[in-house]
Amino acid sequence: MSKNCILCQIVSGTIPSYKIYEDDLIIVILDVNGANPGHCFIMPKEHYPIIEQVPDNVLGSIFTAANKISSAIFETLKVQGTNIFVRNGIPAGQTVAHFMINVIPRTEGDGVNLQWEPKQMSEEEVFTIELKLKEQIKNTGVVSAQPVQSAEPLAKPASHPPIEDDEDDYFMNQLRRIP
Amino acid sequence: MAEQQQMSEEQAKELQEKIKNMSPEELKEFQKKQCIFCQIISGNVQSKKVYEDEKALAILDINPANPGHILIMPKEHYSIMPQIPEHEVVHIFNVVKMLSNASLRALEVQGSNIIVANGVAAGQKAQHFMVHLIPRKEGDNVDFDVPQKTIPEEKLEEVKQLLAKALGTKVEQQTPQNNQPLPQSQQLTTPKQEVVEAEFEEPVKDIEKELEELEVKEEKPKKKVPKKPKAKKKEPKEKEQEPKSGANLDDIANILGVK
Repeated sequence: MSKNCILCQIVSGTIPSYKIYEDDLIIVILDVNGANPGHCFIMPKEHYPIIEQVPDNVLGSIFTAANKISSAIFETLKVQGTNIFVRNGIPAGQTVAHFMINVIPRTEGDGVNLQWEPKQMSEEEVFTIELKLKEQIKNTGVVSAQPVQSAEPLAKPASHPPIEDDEDDYFMNQLRRIP
Repeated sequence: MAEQQQMSEEQAKELQEKIKNMSPEELKEFQKKQCIFCQIISGNVQSKKVYEDEKALAILDINPANPGHILIMPKEHYSIMPQIPEHEVVHIFNVVKMLSNASLRALEVQGSNIIVANGVAAGQKAQHFMVHLIPRKEGDNVDFDVPQKTIPEEKLEEVKQLLAKALGTKVEQQTPQNNQPLPQSQQLTTPKQEVVEAEFEEPVKDIEKELEELEVKEEKPKKKVPKKPKAKKKEPKEKEQEPKSGANLDDIANILGVK
């Protein structure tokens, strides 16, 4: 825990919050100044400033929770969409040095803008970027080879229902959308 | 896709009727055939692949917000996140983390935004679930807007009750002060979570080792990535310090301590 970190104080309960979920690794609270009602923050209890420092299992819990909360938002708040939005590092808009992610319920015309103007790049620039990334991934990307293997044994007990007809209208609506 | 636009109204109606009568499996098959990203995954459509494993593929976005903008997607066709099995969600975001780390190091950026859109209202354009990873540096003219609204207390309380109930969390009527973790039975993560944690223990160590080795390899005479980042205190003098080009995770983490 970091003494000066406001989120650590929320985790410890020193600062009250609208907590909607908690387990050993993570905590989920409502943003009191959210973009929409139901906008929440999911954060690790442990103090990690940026995503690169969050251990795989904790990160897994965070995004598993994001997925479930996203579903819960669809079911209970009757919204038309959700965003997961992460600001990692100051240029990305991060303001508190405790990694967290936003789950944002979305409705038409709610003022949230996560779109961008595409940047024009020459083929050469793209090629350079591709090369640099691949080279780096060759050196540091070993990390991710593991989860694939460990994900395998889980596949059978997981037995996730495929897409059930009556599960949620939203899913079916999505599927029925004409591309 | 082009031929779809040329469809007559009648054909469109017919297609709609056909879609309505499909079973979920048939629908998924149908969508797969229409999905440009499934064709990228199968190799029928060309792309700039930067990473691939048996479950996930990462390519460069052809309309990037910034150079190095990466799309990470499951190889299996899912249109929105709630359809994806838990272990695949976990894997995808660990790939995202690895790629974020790689772009910090390779592209001389100092941060990243991660964006997922579920549903058209959220800005989803493709029918294939994907995660956007956008490298960020100062003055890159990327501007995402998440307005801050004042949400009335009653509304917050109401939403809290609704969501907590949907998640199976027990909460008191008022904003709770107690911070006892929920009993195992109430936890959102299913018991197989334990398996996940156990499975992941090794990789976690590996990362730390990996990072440390990397520091050595790069011959940065700087601090190693600490075992426990929480123990690290940011000193006030580091307040406005800008991260150096490229990526030292410590620096990036440290300057965050500011606000």
